[in-house]
Amino acid sequence: MPAVVMDTAVMSSAPKRKRQENGKETKKRRKSAGDDEELDVDEEKSQIEILTAEIFESRKHYNNIATLIGLMKEQDEDTHTALAAAESLCRVFIRLLALGSLVRKRDASEKGATVTIWLRERLAEYQDALAALLQKTGTAHRALLLAMVLLKAEAQHINDKEEASFPRGSFSRIVTAVLESPAEELLLVFDQDWVSEFDDIRFYALQEIKVYLTGRDQPVHEIVRDRIFDLLIGIEDVPGSSEELEDFYIDRPNKKKHALYSLTQHKKQAQEAWIALMNLGLSKDQRKQVLESMAGSIAPWFTKPELLMDFLTDCYNSGGSLSLLALSGVFYLIQERNLDYPSFYTKLYSLLDADILHSKYRSRFFRLLDQFLASSHLPAVLVASFIKRLARLTLNAPPSAVVAIVPWFYNIFKKHPLCTFMMHRVPRTQEERDLLQSEGFSDPFLPDEVDPMETHAIDSCIWEIVQLQSHYHPNVATIAKIISEQFTKQSYGLEDFLDHSYSSLIEAEMSKDVKKAPVVEFMIPKRIFTKVDSAAEESDSLLVSLWDFGSS
Amino acid sequence: MPGSQLKRLKASLKDQGIIGPQKSKKERRKNAQDQNGKGDKRLQRSEALEGIREQFNPFQFKTNARGPKFEVTTNKPANDKTSKGISGRPGVAKSIGEERRRQTLLVEMQRRNKVGGIIDRRFGENDPNMTLEDKMIERFTREQQRSHKRGGMFDLEDDVEEMAELTHAGKIIAFDEEMAMKDDFDGEDMSSDGESDSSHAARRKLKRFRADQADAGDAVGEEDDGQPDKKKTKQEIYSEIMAKSKLHKYERQAAKEEDGELRAELDKELPELQALLFQRGKPQSKEVKGAVIAGVDKAALDKDYDIRVKQLAAGKRAQPAERTKTEEEVVKEESERLKELEEKRQKRMRGGYDGSDDEEVGEDEGKPSNKIAVRAGRGFNPADAVDEDDEDEFGLGKGIKVRPTATELGFDDEDDFLIDDDLVASGAELELDSDDMDSEGGDEDGSDIEPNSDDDEFTKGILTEAEAKNPPIFKASSGKQGDDEDGIPYTFPCPQTHVEMLAAFEGLDITELPVAVQRIRALYHPKLDSGNKERLGNFAQALVRHVAYLGDNFEPHWFPALESLLRHIHSLAKSFPIEVSKGYRAIIQEMEQDRPLGLTVGDLVLLTGIGTTFPTSDHFHQVVTPAVLSIARFLGQKIPQNVADYATGTYLSILAIQYQQFSMRYVPELMNFCLNTLCALAHEKPREAFGLFPLHEPAAGIRIKRATQTPIRKLNCAECRSEHVTTLSAAEETSLKVAILSTTTSILKTAAETWSGAAAFYETFTPAVRVLDHLTSKANSAHLPPTLVVQIRSASAFIKELLEQARLARRPLELHHHKPLAIRTFVPKFEDSFDPTKHYDPDRERAEMAKLKAEHKRERKGAMRELRKDAHFMARENLRVKKERDTAYEKKYKRLVSEIQGQEGQAANEYEREKAKRQQKKDRAKAQR
Repeated sequence: MPAVVMDTAVMSSAPKRKRQENGKETKKRRKSAGDDEELDVDEEKSQIEILTAEIFESRKHYNNIATLIGLMKEQDEDTHTALAAAESLCRVFIRLLALGSLVRKRDASEKGATVTIWLRERLAEYQDALAALLQKTGTAHRALLLAMVLLKAEAQHINDKEEASFPRGSFSRIVTAVLESPAEELLLVFDQDWVSEFDDIRFYALQEIKVYLTGRDQPVHEIVRDRIFDLLIGIEDVPGSSEELEDFYIDRPNKKKHALYSLTQHKKQAQEAWIALMNLGLSKDQRKQVLESMAGSIAPWFTKPELLMDFLTDCYNSGGSLSLLALSGVFYLIQERNLDYPSFYTKLYSLLDADILHSKYRSRFFRLLDQFLASSHLPAVLVASFIKRLARLTLNAPPSAVVAIVPWFYNIFKKHPLCTFMMHRVPRTQEERDLLQSEGFSDPFLPDEVDPMETHAIDSCIWEIVQLQSHYHPNVATIAKIISEQFTKQSYGLEDFLDHSYSSLIEAEMSKDVKKAPVVEFMIPKRIFTKVDSAAEESDSLLVSLWDFGSS
Repeated sequence: MPGSQLKRLKASLKDQGIIGPQKSKKERRKNAQDQNGKGDKRLQRSEALEGIREQFNPFQFKTNARGPKFEVTTNKPANDKTSKGISGRPGVAKSIGEERRRQTLLVEMQRRNKVGGIIDRRFGENDPNMTLEDKMIERFTREQQRSHKRGGMFDLEDDVEEMAELTHAGKIIAFDEEMAMKDDFDGEDMSSDGESDSSHAARRKLKRFRADQADAGDAVGEEDDGQPDKKKTKQEIYSEIMAKSKLHKYERQAAKEEDGELRAELDKELPELQALLFQRGKPQSKEVKGAVIAGVDKAALDKDYDIRVKQLAAGKRAQPAERTKTEEEVVKEESERLKELEEKRQKRMRGGYDGSDDEEVGEDEGKPSNKIAVRAGRGFNPADAVDEDDEDEFGLGKGIKVRPTATELGFDDEDDFLIDDDLVASGAELELDSDDMDSEGGDEDGSDIEPNSDDDEFTKGILTEAEAKNPPIFKASSGKQGDDEDGIPYTFPCPQTHVEMLAAFEGLDITELPVAVQRIRALYHPKLDSGNKERLGNFAQALVRHVAYLGDNFEPHWFPALESLLRHIHSLAKSFPIEVSKGYRAIIQEMEQDRPLGLTVGDLVLLTGIGTTFPTSDHFHQVVTPAVLSIARFLGQKIPQNVADYATGTYLSILAIQYQQFSMRYVPELMNFCLNTLCALAHEKPREAFGLFPLHEPAAGIRIKRATQTPIRKLNCAECRSEHVTTLSAAEETSLKVAILSTTTSILKTAAETWSGAAAFYETFTPAVRVLDHLTSKANSAHLPPTLVVQIRSASAFIKELLEQARLARRPLELHHHKPLAIRTFVPKFEDSFDPTKHYDPDRERAEMAKLKAEHKRERKGAMRELRKDAHFMARENLRVKKERDTAYEKKYKRLVSEIQGQEGQAANEYEREKAKRQQKKDRAKAQR
């Protein structure tokens, strides 16, 4: 009945205007007096309630919906009213949806169809308004809740079919709004309460993200990209099998072969979202983050980890700590996916630079290095290069690193007996001995050679470790001595040696109480800071000779 | 041998000289003359006969079927019988068995189915050694004795014994047993009715029985002697006992008196003895004599004497004084002591004891988990073990041994302090010989004070002065504070915490602190009061903290005072090693937790103190190891932000290298820091990496600029403070940078010197040379003062030379000249004394079971054999008996038959005769007719 609609439209315009006036009034009033505000808010609330009640009463008052939407949209600052209106509208729409008022029916009269179409338009309008609310810091959380509740109702009742169908359009709007919303924590809440909680939400959210990232003409904003990254990183627990996919927000689809039931489909969505994100490029920190959580939460989502190949090789080639982090991923691909990474070991060898033993990823790297060189089929020349290089590095390494390296050497020597010449090389001929006597032995190792197969390390010796046998720290010195002891042990468990640091070493020393009297230097020195007076006495200590204690 | 068995027997008998031709009379007489040989001869004869018998009866022995085995080492025969291959004598064994059976089985057999019999129990009936007459006499005496013993007709006691000899089946019936049985019977069956009566009776009986028993017990002694068991009355017994005890008492008294006499004699001699023992003891001896004369109570005298003897034994004067040594001897002793100390230090440096390394590796194998902690623990123990060793001769131990003689006898004796002074003086005299000592021992700083006198040096001050006459404790209690001319009070409270110490030293100038500390140490000397030990310990801890505190707020002129305080701490550490090390460790702990990369000057001073107080060359040390670690941590992890950080690092580098001066241990962090410093301060950024040390990009404004005119100077502690450095002008900062460069170069040079013997010296110092060369390159040297460039060049040249030497001296590693390990073998160990008959079952239980089974089987076989033999024997006996019976019957039968036949024959003869007679008669009659 267009007339009615017209009427209502006309009618609706009046209170709308009135509301507008009211709104203006309230604004003014708010400026003038504070205590009236409460009253006004109550008034508005009661008015909203009246409007809502009227809608529920009869179809005649459907125009109130438009009024409420207007109320919602226009209340820029008065979040209470907007939220109240939004809530009421939500209730209204849920009810209408449940009643089936929004369902297009074939046999419906012309008038009924018009009403349906009109209501649908209002729903869309309402959703837009909600999206707008999501953009505001104060209202975002409630709006999200309402949007999701409405989403559920919509999914169930938008069609007259028994089966619920996911309202992609509305959800797309929500996701976009959430991603673009400046509200803090909104993304986190969305992630925790919805995405991580429900498998279907996650599924569609990933889909939407991919669409969002790829389907736009204008470049995605940096902040949004970061948000998407956070969201994706946050999605951690990969379901183990299709059976685990059972937490659905919307009623589960009847079809057995629905995409929601397929783990591969889920993974595919995640993979596509990630690829879309990675194609846009990541910052260095993000790359690090990705690489760190690669094994835990990213790679398992990929049905085709090969797709990560480019990313990983890029990272690996970029050098520095990034290469270190990319190492495990690259190795995974080499091992599992038959990635052909030319000169992997050359690259690995080049990672052994001056900083590696001081880096905080040291133990992580060592675990990997141990794994990479675990094969007894590697050429001894190559292994020897690694040994020699690391031995060189230990000369400038902290004790915690030496403590890990020496037992590792032991294990490697056990595995590659050819390398043991580095510990024990007896000159065979008389000429050799004579040559040694006359010219000494210069190290054949080429420290600057890049290719570990060409360094001649196997002809060298590990004097460095022998030097460390007189390390200042007693435990390090003792550990270094295992190289010159008889190799009776099968191997050392590397894990026991990896995670040490200066503080843990000192802690180990300090945790023991002094029970036995420590040895005290028996001679009390005459001079500590002051200079020696006369020539008759001993010369100054090093400290006094190099330092000025103001007494000269 | 020819001939038959008989002939051979004859021959062998002749051989043995048993039979032979008739001996002449002469010979027989001669034989008879040596009577003594007669017995022997008979023995010989019987032996020979035995041999011959054995020889001629081959079936008497059981031998191996294939003859005796060849003699090999393993089956050496146990005796010579088996050596002949004889493994048994069946004949003998059989006869023995037969005999035994005859004695047992046969008797049993014969007695079978028979009842009764008489057992002859008459005295001596079965004794074959007694003649009939003896038996008779013995029997008679016995009877007489028995009848004689009867004392009274109505003696019930006697009755019991008389009634003995009731026998049943040859066994004596014990009367008491019967009684007991009767009791039981009573208790069981007649309990209801006759209880009171019967039990009463039983009780009475029991009583009597017990009395008997008691008497018997008393009389046991007499009875055992085999005397006639005559009963003694109780009176007799008691009187005897009393007599005995009186006798014993008398004997004891006599012995005591004898002892007393002896002692009195000795006592009389004591004065002379004492006079001999020590000349000056006259008054005492007089006293003793007087006591003896006066006859004072002996016990008191004895006690006195004992006490005196003890005093004599413990007294200082009784101990032989040490011989005054010649100067050479003193020096030699001293140098030996130093040598010993150095040896101990070396031992600690190597890690406690020789076997430590092996053991620690073994430990690794055993427990890989929590490794570092465990290792540290291991490192800890050997050091402790050494501690124990040292304590005897080192530091504390000796210090007390010499000095307490002075202190113990009391502070009222001022001479002792004079002696102390002398000791110090003697220490000074030793200066002359210090060179000698050093050349031998390589002693730390070549300090020439005699170590034992160190304490005196610190404590003597106040006490050697006139005030020492008054006991200081008295002064302290008087509470009046007298100040000396410098205004330092003579007495202080002993501060227990740092807060207290701050309060106590308030108003004192820092330079006066050492005096104050000295006074406190004298006032609260541990010998003065039992609580002082603890007090001084806490004081030492507080002092350590105070030094750190002073270091943090230092003034340049405080350093002599700080030095003196550190030396005080060192001296205190000798008496209170645990407390002082705890104090140091507490500060290290704070350092590590609060400011691991922001060490203050106070920390630097303390770390220096640790380096001098404790032996830094030890493999493990409870204080030094954490201290070195914290130094290394700063050097390794600090990324210097300003010049002050570089200065602090430089100081710590010096400390690190000084710590390692003896042990020459490698400190990687030192190289890192020094090279980094040089690179950072250089004007030009290096274009390539010089080595494998991690290079940190310096903060802005660190690189040196236009310093050609800056003179080289030394660094000082103020420059370690970042707040100080920020206030410096540009010129001052440049000067500071130059100083850092210069010092770092010197450190590198010293480090190269120290570690020139290290295995990887070449690798370690090649980067250093490169860095130094980089500094002297044109671009850099233009900004450095020329003198510094020269210094750097010379250092570089020096290190290069060392590098060349190291290269020439380098040899390929030969670490594994170990004895090759034996391959594990699974062949069982060879059993030396293998016996195939023995079972080598590894399962013990099974082996025992098998043994038991074998034994059982053997026993079973033996028993069966015996039974079979018994059966045979019985059958044989039966047969024999039957045969006997049969023969007897046969005999009888034959006899009867023959008798009858005889009779019949006779009758027939008679008949014949009669018939003939009648025929004759008839004939005659016929004839007559």
